[in-house]
Parts: sequence; C-alpha cells; structure tokens
Amino acid sequence: MSLVFHIGYGHFLVLAAVLFLIGVGGVLLRRNALIILMSVELMLNAANMTLVTFSRMWGNTSALSAHTFALIVIGVAAAEAAVGLAIVVAVFRGRRSVEVDKLTTLRH
Amino acid sequence: MIRVLVIATLIAAFAGSGGVALAQPAPPRPMPRQPNMPVPAQVQPKRVPAPPFAQPGPARAGVTEHPAGVSDPHYDKLESDGQGMALVFWLFALITVGGALFVITRRNLIAAVMGMVGAFVGIAAVYMMLYASFLAVLQMLVYAGAIMVLFVFVIMILNRPEDEPVAPSGRAGGVLGGIAIIYLVARLGMVLVHVTPPDEHLANQAPAQVQLAPTSADEPGELVAWGSVKAVGNDLFGPGLFPFEAISILLLVAVVGAIAIARPLKEVDAETGGDGP
Repeated sequence: MSLVFHIGYGHFLVLAAVLFLIGVGGVLLRRNALIILMSVELMLNAANMTLVTFSRMWGNTSALSAHTFALIVIGVAAAEAAVGLAIVVAVFRGRRSVEVDKLTTLRH
Repeated sequence: MIRVLVIATLIAAFAGSGGVALAQPAPPRPMPRQPNMPVPAQVQPKRVPAPPFAQPGPARAGVTEHPAGVSDPHYDKLESDGQGMALVFWLFALITVGGALFVITRRNLIAAVMGMVGAFVGIAAVYMMLYASFLAVLQMLVYAGAIMVLFVFVIMILNRPEDEPVAPSGRAGGVLGGIAIIYLVARLGMVLVHVTPPDEHLANQAPAQVQLAPTSADEPGELVAWGSVKAVGNDLFGPGLFPFEAISILLLVAVVGAIAIARPLKEVDAETGGDGP
C-alpha cells in the first residue's frame, strides 16, 4: 500500500521505463513509418524524464544540469522529426505508401 | 476559498504548536503555486514553497509552514505520503501511459496523434512534479505544439485512410514476446522502485537553490530556485553554451535538409520517372 501512496523517485523512473517500452513496442510492432517516428519521440521523452528525475535526485551538484541536457534532447528530437517526416513525404511521393515493410529496394 | 482554508489551517497549526510559534510574527502568506519564484539575493536561503501540483488543502493539512530556522525535512519533500500527491501522480501517469498506448494501438493516424498530445501533457505534468517548471512549459510548447502540428500536417498531406494495425506474428512469437515483456517490466519495476538517492537528506528536501554566477565582484551570485528559467538560462549560457550553439546549428542543418529532401521532384525527373531530385 505504501507503493501506492508513497510517491518516490522510483515511481518516476518506472513511469519513464514503461513509456520507453511502449515506444519500443511501437517501433517493433507497427509498420507505418509515422507511427514509428512517434514511438521514437516517446522514447526520447522517456529518456528526458529519466534525466530530470536523476537530476532532481542528485540535487544541483553538477555543473551542467539535466535541464540543459533535456533541452538539447528536445532540440535533437525536433530536428529528427523534421528530417524524418521529410523522408516520409519523399518516400510516399515515390511509392504511394509509408509501410516500412515495403521499402525493400536496398535489399539484395 | 482555498486560501481561506489554508490560512485557517496554518493558524490552527501554529496555535497548536506552542508559545514559540505564537511569539513569531504572523505566519507568512503561503505562496502555494509558484515553486520557482526568484528569491532576492540578500534573503537567506529559504525553502521553496509547495509544488504547484499539491495545492495546500485537506491533503496537506498536516504540513505546516515552520518559523525561520526550524527546518522540517518532511516539509515539501518529494517522497511525501500525501494522498493528494499520489492521486495527482497516478492520474498523470495514467494519462501518459494511456496516451502512449493509444499511439501504438490506433489505426487512425489522427487518433494516434491525439493520444500523443495526451501523453505529452502528462509528461509535462510529471516534469512539474519534479520541479522542472521550465522544462514542463517547453514540453508543451515544443512537443504538444510544434512537433505535433508537424505530424498532423504530414498526415493530412499523405491522407492515408487506414493503416494496418500491427505486423503479424505467429502464436508462439506472441506468447514468447508477451512473457519476455512481462518479465522485463517486472524486473525493471522491482529494481527501479527501490532505487535510493545518493544523498537521502539532500534528495528528500525541496530542490536546492542554485547560485548564479556573480555579476559584480563584491556581491555573490543570486540564489534562484532549481529548475526555474533563471537557473536553466544561467546554465545554458555558462557551461552549456557550446551544446546550446551546437543545437542551433543542428536545427539549421535539419531544416535545410528537410527542405532538400521533401522538395518536389524536378519537372524533368517527373517526366522521365526519375527517383531523385
């Protein structure tokens, strides 16, 4: 019962881990490239949440705080989404499909 | 209404705590919902007020604001037994996980994006619970705002009506995968729930305040709350300056690359059926 009413750092870490696993499941199970991109965003968010939790746990002893780190991760995620969606649009334009299982041109 | 309740609770608690508290001047007005108010430099390091999610109410009735000098390690610490905090945490954890599950189970892409927005709102609330208010706002602005709009635009450009749900896998594969996932989650949960902070005293307090770099030689740097815009900005333009500049270059490159990739094919290529720009 104390696990329910006693919210500690572990709860936040478990939440982030569950979020990451859902993202992994999305990447592995879905075939739509857009869903895969969204799952990657979920995983990046889970990593961010872990960073912030550990930073909160350690206090402010480090020079470069997790906020800066998380900010950089958000920037990388934005860049990744922009390029990834551009690739999806380009692929769709050529093949009229965004199913990743059908992108087999490079297979030999 | 809430404020009246809080003040009444505070007065009752102070009256009950003996003559010492009564001899103090009137209890300071509680500042419930701004954890990251900058504190003037000359003020002694003061405990940051209650986090925004835990409105002082019946759930926090036992928590009192102590007179100066008396530090209560149970005040405002993260691992609180407050049922209000637990309720809020489970609510937003449910929203986050539910939204994420929505993303990977829906056939309709727009529904998936809406689940994603729900998950991001939940994540922003979790950041707020961890006192990272700047990051929470940024999460809403960048993710729930910009990136999701990008996704919605692309989905509407593509205009695919339906999507195949999941890749098929055999019955044995499903069973094995399910067992593996359950085992992994259970082990992970057991490990992570029992994680202990390195410095129990430090970690269970309200977030420490961050001292900014001094602006002049004769006075020390300003004390600001952990996770506030001032603290993060000081960090960004101090030790984090190079990553900060690098990320702007990265974004520029990404934008140029996205335009180059997604640009419509040239007329000649379109006529000859070419595949690249």
